[in-house]
Amino acid sequence: MKPAPSLLSSAFLQPAGQALPAPLLALRKQRGAALVDMPMPTRKTENWKYSSKYLKLTDEMAASLPTTGKTGSALAVPGYKVVFINGVVIPEASEYPDLDNILIQRFGDLSEAEANELAERLDSTLDAKAVQFAGLNTARFEDGLLIRLKPDAVLDQPLFIIHEVTADASGSAFPRIFVEAGRNSQITLVEEFISSGQEAVFVNSVTEFTLAEGTNVTNIRLSMDGEKVQHIGATGVTQQRSSRFESHCVGFGGPLRRHDLRVRLEGKGAECKLNGVVVTQGTQHYDNHTTIEHVAPNCDSEETYRNIAADKSHAVFNGRIHIHPDAQKSNANMSNKNLLLSTGAEIDTKPELEIYADDVKCAHGATIGQLDKESLFYLVSRGIGLREANVLLTMAFINELVAQIPVDAVKDTVQIRLNQFFDQTFQEV
Amino acid sequence: MLSIKNLHASVEGKEILKGINLEIKAGEVHAIMGPNGSGKSTLAQVLAGNDAFEVTSGSVTMHGEDLLEKATEERARDGVFLAFQYPVEIPGVSNLQFMRTSVNAMRHHRGESEMNAAEFMKMAREISKQVDLDPAFLKRGVNEGFSGGEKKRNEIMQALMLQPKLAILDETDSGLDIDALKVVSDGVNALRAEDRAILMVTHYQRLLDHIVPDFVHVLAEGKIVKSGGRELALELEERGYAWLGIKDDETAASSAN
Repeated sequence: MKPAPSLLSSAFLQPAGQALPAPLLALRKQRGAALVDMPMPTRKTENWKYSSKYLKLTDEMAASLPTTGKTGSALAVPGYKVVFINGVVIPEASEYPDLDNILIQRFGDLSEAEANELAERLDSTLDAKAVQFAGLNTARFEDGLLIRLKPDAVLDQPLFIIHEVTADASGSAFPRIFVEAGRNSQITLVEEFISSGQEAVFVNSVTEFTLAEGTNVTNIRLSMDGEKVQHIGATGVTQQRSSRFESHCVGFGGPLRRHDLRVRLEGKGAECKLNGVVVTQGTQHYDNHTTIEHVAPNCDSEETYRNIAADKSHAVFNGRIHIHPDAQKSNANMSNKNLLLSTGAEIDTKPELEIYADDVKCAHGATIGQLDKESLFYLVSRGIGLREANVLLTMAFINELVAQIPVDAVKDTVQIRLNQFFDQTFQEV
Repeated sequence: MLSIKNLHASVEGKEILKGINLEIKAGEVHAIMGPNGSGKSTLAQVLAGNDAFEVTSGSVTMHGEDLLEKATEERARDGVFLAFQYPVEIPGVSNLQFMRTSVNAMRHHRGESEMNAAEFMKMAREISKQVDLDPAFLKRGVNEGFSGGEKKRNEIMQALMLQPKLAILDETDSGLDIDALKVVSDGVNALRAEDRAILMVTHYQRLLDHIVPDFVHVLAEGKIVKSGGRELALELEERGYAWLGIKDDETAASSAN
């Protein structure tokens, strides 16, 4: 007899906070009901194969973290920002852009009609079967942010979303964002996930984007949660004709880090560019699962992910490209390169291509390697210290992707974190 | 300046250097010639500190200090420079970043302040002209997409920049057309100085038409079998290695009897 599969504890299906319009409360309830007895992923769950062992949810982590807390480091961010603490928007700490054609609202502030409309659209960019935990967010969110750009609206500066989790006690947080970009609108959305406190917590975040014709959306996602944060996040994107979506995901490892990024190219001539950098150390983990659906013809996708794993850490990349029968003249490029900095580190990479159209260009490549000994010797033979040489070569592996991050403040934050990683990984000799 | 005594070295358990003895004084230019596989490049790599090679016995001292005990970067900071036979391509690290890091590591070692970007650029531009490299190459990855000749000129450029005490040139002439050979030779001649020694490893004597050595040594099967002045190189050119009883790929046929 097979052992009974482990199921999602019912403790995780008790949402807190009732300050939401009725249609959203109803949606939440409906999603929760659908998740009763959801089997937890195991080694045999294909899309959790390498990561299920890192997922360790306990009932102590089930309850929502208190919605009031400190807004520490988030305040240093200049310009437009929205601060979430434990999944709830803190208006006092936020700085909204004051523009007529860009509406930014908390879920709790929506009218019944607006909430009705939103309830129909939430989860529409994500395939609930493939991204089980997105459904959990919908069953649990206590607040959320709806960003609506009217046609031709252009946000002149990046909008920072600071997701802070206060891990002073065990618990969980369910931040939620929905971005609706109207025709020819433009926005750069920066999401930074950070935490304070030392208790074990669970973060389950979902961000969705719907891009109308001709829109241009850039999303930077910086995952820097603390050492005891298990984080399962998802980003869903649908793109109409001639829209452009650019994503830069930079992630530092943790006890469990999972990000699903799903892009559907639904309109002719849409294009997406997905960049990703992951750095893990110690016994950390990070798993990126990306899916690009080429539904309409003449769409381009360009995906470049790099993983660096040190010590005994474990990074996973799974990149799926699905070219539908009508998606003729699709152009898809996927590259995943991996760098192992120690013999105890592990990286699993899996490109998955499903092509049902015959006139397409589709290329993919994946490599796993170590720092090149000859290159190291060349550098040290010029008087460069071994530590510095290691840093130069490791940085060279991701330089191109870091340089492409279009917001300097984020680039600086990333570099500071990378320097910490280098300090811990390459000892002075 | 450099004293090599009974140096033995192996790679993957195979002995390549079988007792090298060589004394080099400041201001001298030495050429080491020999057929392929004689151990010329191994000697260059061992002196620079490549740990792919294991020194099994013997000693090397520079300015009286044990060279073999020092890490590669320490040797470099003490003035050892190796111009690689096959310079490595390093995409993602620009030539500028690489050279500036190198120059500043040396300055730091000497207790001097770091060179700022502007000072460094000025120096780099001047020296790149000297070796006929377009300064635009500084922005590209280290040796990335360089032709064979450009790589060799880049090596000489680094030597000119770092002003080593001992410059070891490993087959710096190979793969160069006559114009590039002239540029490289001019660069090496510019390095000649009273307080600097140059050790050239070469298969052919043509480089020695441009860079006239004070001493020529013939290396065969891991040992120096003959030493002499410049005229030794000319004699080798005329008579081949077989004359010394050395087998060479290119002269093997004639010495087969």
